[in-house]
Amino acid sequence: MSTIDTGERRRGSDARPVITELIDEGTVQSIAEDAWTALVGEDEVLVPLPGELPADVISSWVDVVGPWTGSVVLTTGRQTAADLTRALLGDASPEILDHEDVADAFGEIANVVGGNVKAALPGPSGLSLPDVGDAPTVRNPADQCRVDVLWRGEPLSISVQGALPALSQH
Amino acid sequence: MNVRALVIDDSRAMRRIVSSILEGLGYEVQQAGHGREGLDVLETGWVPELVCVDWNMPVMDGLQFVSAVRTNPAWRSMTIMMVTSESEHTQIVRALAAGAHEYVIKPFTADAIRDKLALLGLLPQEVAL
Amino acid sequence: MTLTATGFDWVRALVHKESAIVLQPGKEYLVEARLLPIARQLGLSDVGEFVDSVRTRPSADHTRRIVEALTTNETSWFRDGDPFSALSSTVLPSLLAKRNAGERLQIWSAACSSGQEPYTIAMLLEDALPNAASRVSITATDLSREMVERTRAGRFSQLEVNRGLPAPMLIRHFTRVGSEWEVSPALRRMVTAGECNLAAPLPRMGPFDVVYLRNVLIYFDLPTKRSILSNVRTLMRPDGWLFLGAAETTLGVDDSWERVVIGRTSAYRPLKGA
Repeated sequence: MSTIDTGERRRGSDARPVITELIDEGTVQSIAEDAWTALVGEDEVLVPLPGELPADVISSWVDVVGPWTGSVVLTTGRQTAADLTRALLGDASPEILDHEDVADAFGEIANVVGGNVKAALPGPSGLSLPDVGDAPTVRNPADQCRVDVLWRGEPLSISVQGALPALSQH
Repeated sequence: MNVRALVIDDSRAMRRIVSSILEGLGYEVQQAGHGREGLDVLETGWVPELVCVDWNMPVMDGLQFVSAVRTNPAWRSMTIMMVTSESEHTQIVRALAAGAHEYVIKPFTADAIRDKLALLGLLPQEVAL
Repeated sequence: MTLTATGFDWVRALVHKESAIVLQPGKEYLVEARLLPIARQLGLSDVGEFVDSVRTRPSADHTRRIVEALTTNETSWFRDGDPFSALSSTVLPSLLAKRNAGERLQIWSAACSSGQEPYTIAMLLEDALPNAASRVSITATDLSREMVERTRAGRFSQLEVNRGLPAPMLIRHFTRVGSEWEVSPALRRMVTAGECNLAAPLPRMGPFDVVYLRNVLIYFDLPTKRSILSNVRTLMRPDGWLFLGAAETTLGVDDSWERVVIGRTSAYRPLKGA
């Protein structure tokens, strides 16, 4: 059996950094806090404690394509997403919120958080338009940086997750 | 002083937020959902003093919009402010090189917009604090 | 929560008086959260106790720290604009004409807070003078150690750099570090930060060609204002320039200054023989 180390696996992983080498939870938390302070309200607090996400959740995400490629995914209960939409729109909030209002607002928050996460990573990188629905699956658990917070007591998760599956181990 | 602003963003929520800030400062505001729609507004002859434009949008993005605007001498008088979550150093350089005058990074507060407009001499009224 | 209704009302009135900012009812949690670090630093058990102690025994220092903690989002670059454009347009050329080539200009930012003011000055000088760090030094002082450390670090959040900083200056003078923006080494070389209590005898600094003493005299009573202005003056060159806050003046406080109008702002210069 050949034992020559061609360095391919090593070079392969150098060329594909995992997110935990590039950003930490504190930075992601800080980015989210700035977004909430500015867009939702000055005294809004994101408590870094995990909560149990309800069965009925909605996600919004943006894709980052560059030296690191993946998605920045926000996930929360549908009611929380609606509350967030009202808080974002403030006085401009319509009487009845429809799915489009929520998708638009929740998508925009993913755009704001995602854009700033992207800027904290080695670039240059491209940012996609936001998408809303069922979260993209986590392809590689080792390539994920996840922050769970409570907003007004409600759980919300922010996942920065790589697009590629793990390299197979030999 | 009648000042006008065109707000271009694919997010309805963001258009509402920015428009509301500008209206509070005394602006008359029109909105567009992407760069091409923004050019359509300008081509009707409604030329505002200020354009606030997002970067990532479908059909025509903000950078393309800025480049298109800067090629038209009739639109020289407009101040273009990008309002976007794009915040890499290189992106800001590109935007300013393409002809944007100012750059507001999302997330922003109403005061941030106000400060930038004050710097540009585009505050329509003295807003008493 | 330890802040009482009376305490909150007192804080609201104080903040409104000193900064014109209105704290809406419902912001008690904000006040509690922002004042807790200060209370702890002072060895007090909670915010309620801290606020009560300042209410019953007024202290300019504590008052200022309370107002700053609650208005920290208001700190902007190029605050009020004109006192900084006056530096480029008028003060700097005048000083360069009068001083010898090798002489270092000295500028003092006497209430530097988180650093926006001294770095605003540094940016202007960096853009105006080749090799500015060898020609100018900026001394940045504040009462608060936390603020001095922030100034030394020269790092600012996304929200902070959005406040009044022209985008071309952002890209010229800052680099991104994680989610924050950091001033360039050239700017950092120009600024030396340290703690200083303006109401106490001042350390031997300067002599300064320009002093920025903005929005801090308001916290002091008249006799203290006088003594601060007098002490500041002793650290200035006789032909130096003093900038105060937009709503401040030496008029009625200290008549040993001459007011000079520069565009839409004023500077104060020591009156000869006064």
